[in-house]
Amino acid sequence: MSKVRRACFAFALACASTLFLIAPASAEQTQESAKEPAKHPGLELLRSKCFQCHTDSMWRDARQDARWWEAALYRMVGRGGVWTTEEIKVMADYLGTDFGPNAKPPERAKQ
Amino acid sequence: MRELVVKYLNKEMSRRKFVGTLTKAGITVTAAQGVLASVSSVSVAQTGPAPTPPAGAAAATAAAPATAGQATTAAVRAVQGTGGSAFADQLIASGVKYVFGNSASEDAPFYDALVDRPELKYILTPHEGPGAAMAAGYIKASGEPAIVMQAAVVGMANAIGQMINAFKEQTPLVVYSYRSDQTGSAGRDGFEEVANQEQIVQPFTKHTWLARRADMIPETVRRAFKASWTPPYGPSYISWHKDYNQTRIRADIVAQNQIDPRMRVRPNPQEVERAAKLLVEAKMPLMIVGDEIYKAKAAPKAVKLAELLGMPVTQARQLYANFPEPHPLWVGNLPAGTLNSITWPKDADVVINVGNKLQHNSPAPIVPRNKKFIDMRIDHWSMGNVMLTEVPLVADVGYGLDDLIAAVEQLVTPALKQKFAERAEEVKKVTTQMRALRAGIVNSPDWDQAPIIADRLTHEISRFADPDAIIVHEAGSVSLHGFGFNPIGGRELFFYYGAHLGSGVGTAAGVKLARPNQQVICLVGDGSFIFGPTALWNMARLELPVITVVYNNHAYSGPHSRAISLVPSGRMVETGQYYHDYLGSPDMDMAAIAKGFGVDGEVVHNPAQLREALVRARKHTVEGKPYLLDVQVARKGIGWAEKPWVPPIQIAGLRTRRV
Repeated sequence: MSKVRRACFAFALACASTLFLIAPASAEQTQESAKEPAKHPGLELLRSKCFQCHTDSMWRDARQDARWWEAALYRMVGRGGVWTTEEIKVMADYLGTDFGPNAKPPERAKQ
Repeated sequence: MRELVVKYLNKEMSRRKFVGTLTKAGITVTAAQGVLASVSSVSVAQTGPAPTPPAGAAAATAAAPATAGQATTAAVRAVQGTGGSAFADQLIASGVKYVFGNSASEDAPFYDALVDRPELKYILTPHEGPGAAMAAGYIKASGEPAIVMQAAVVGMANAIGQMINAFKEQTPLVVYSYRSDQTGSAGRDGFEEVANQEQIVQPFTKHTWLARRADMIPETVRRAFKASWTPPYGPSYISWHKDYNQTRIRADIVAQNQIDPRMRVRPNPQEVERAAKLLVEAKMPLMIVGDEIYKAKAAPKAVKLAELLGMPVTQARQLYANFPEPHPLWVGNLPAGTLNSITWPKDADVVINVGNKLQHNSPAPIVPRNKKFIDMRIDHWSMGNVMLTEVPLVADVGYGLDDLIAAVEQLVTPALKQKFAERAEEVKKVTTQMRALRAGIVNSPDWDQAPIIADRLTHEISRFADPDAIIVHEAGSVSLHGFGFNPIGGRELFFYYGAHLGSGVGTAAGVKLARPNQQVICLVGDGSFIFGPTALWNMARLELPVITVVYNNHAYSGPHSRAISLVPSGRMVETGQYYHDYLGSPDMDMAAIAKGFGVDGEVVHNPAQLREALVRARKHTVEGKPYLLDVQVARKGIGWAEKPWVPPIQIAGLRTRRV
């Protein structure tokens, strides 16, 4: 995954963590994200809905289908996410493609 | 001097000889007569000749003031007996009804004194940690003092976790343990002896003190309660050598109200005016509420201020729900703990905090520096440490809100009133929409799955709970929704702030002890539960009908995901080898554990079973019995295999003998 793309997405993962402990997105990352043109409507939604709370560091290694991502987004509703059903569908569709089972595997961190 | 007074009080010395001895020692006659008068006031308090008290039983005698002119007869009693019995007498005088203790043989004189003091009730807790949590829960739910006691430094060490919680949460918990050494043998590395044991707890207590003599035990006790219960609240720790508990003493037992400074502070009037002006002139003010509101029972005042200004209200992490969540001005909690994470309003220009400690977990200030910030709190110690404060209002928030409301009302013109009403309508439209969208959680594609998802479990409990239920919440990875908490007569929340795990079950037991006529439901993760299940035994013994619900996903799911966020794309993720988070293999059966403590319960696997199980839970509690539901919850999130990897530590291959 490219650096730019990594910086473009953010939303929370699952029962994973308590949001109060998630590091907020840095201004640097947000600015970098803003330079990337959006191609999928779900990408724009992710940018506007998720960066306010956290970065992508917890979920960017996931490769799952749209249904899995949809369930993950609904878990964020339980944590205060205020999104319509349609918005969730669009974001899940995007993630199920670019972070789907057939997407490029995560780039491993250097040890 | 001390020996002289003792001789006089024991009638072994006449008044003349007493004064004569003092004057020979260089004290003037006038001063000596003054000492005599003071000592006599104690002596007069005795009914008849001062007897030698029977071992282990204090002779609390007729009341009389020991301090001239100040105290009433009910306020001060002179007692004689053992240090342990004086300890008990002072606890009663300090308003304590319950003692939460673990067995400590060197406190035997105290236990002996309890036999004749039925008003002081001792609750034996099988582990000091949950015992301290139970005491803290009782204090928080009742607003009344209690004490935790345990054996020496070894018992204290078990209670330390909950002392940390009490310190972070600002709970007035008083903790006592004796020092295991005798006065004359201290410092010889004796049994259970650790040098300077009080210093271990100093960083997380508000007050730490040792009684230097046996007759100073009562003074030490009441000083601890004064320190803990003077705002901002916090835990105190007191200690003394174990032989003091057996030492025969005379001492004054003083009612706590005679030394309580009753500190209720009104804010600086000039700062109140500045705050009112800022709020009235704000384009979009925002109020953050916090636990000082709950403690001051000031939620109706917070509502009044918000309504006066048409001001939206939010809350950063706290113990309690401090504002009615169903109120149209409630915009929800800060999702990530900082104002930058708030969904709406994004454009607040003036922010007022009322009683929130504002715990910072990241370098960014919770309130960004481009906002004008008004901070109203009694906890002046933490004000201004991180955020710039335009207007500091050091005050009891009850008084502070009264004064601020009055000041705002003076500034409100008909035009402003109209403007605020329009803003309130705008907020209401937004919050109505927010509620509708949050209710959409039921559309999750996993909603009906088994094992049940955590959000479904929360949803079902929110539908099940009584309208005035108290929810004790120690399921750290679970976000509550759907409860509509309301500190003004509705459902109440007791969350945790200190994060030393194992507090939930004990807290719930203590809350139920304090509020026997409200439904108490304890929500706890399996990881948290297993740190402190012993309080279940207290629920069974005391017949505290609490419903405990364990979100059992056989994992530490919070640490799982936070570790991934710290090492994304690392070897853990690549291999699926997570060392720190899987609690299965074998799975723990929390219902079986509960049965071992005398609490009935059952394991729940799917949503249909859950509803039936909740009915059984209610039936049990109606009959006065606690109940536990071990609900099998799905592990969700990145990196969870269906059968998670377990670190390969196998001892079987090392065994050469079948023993």
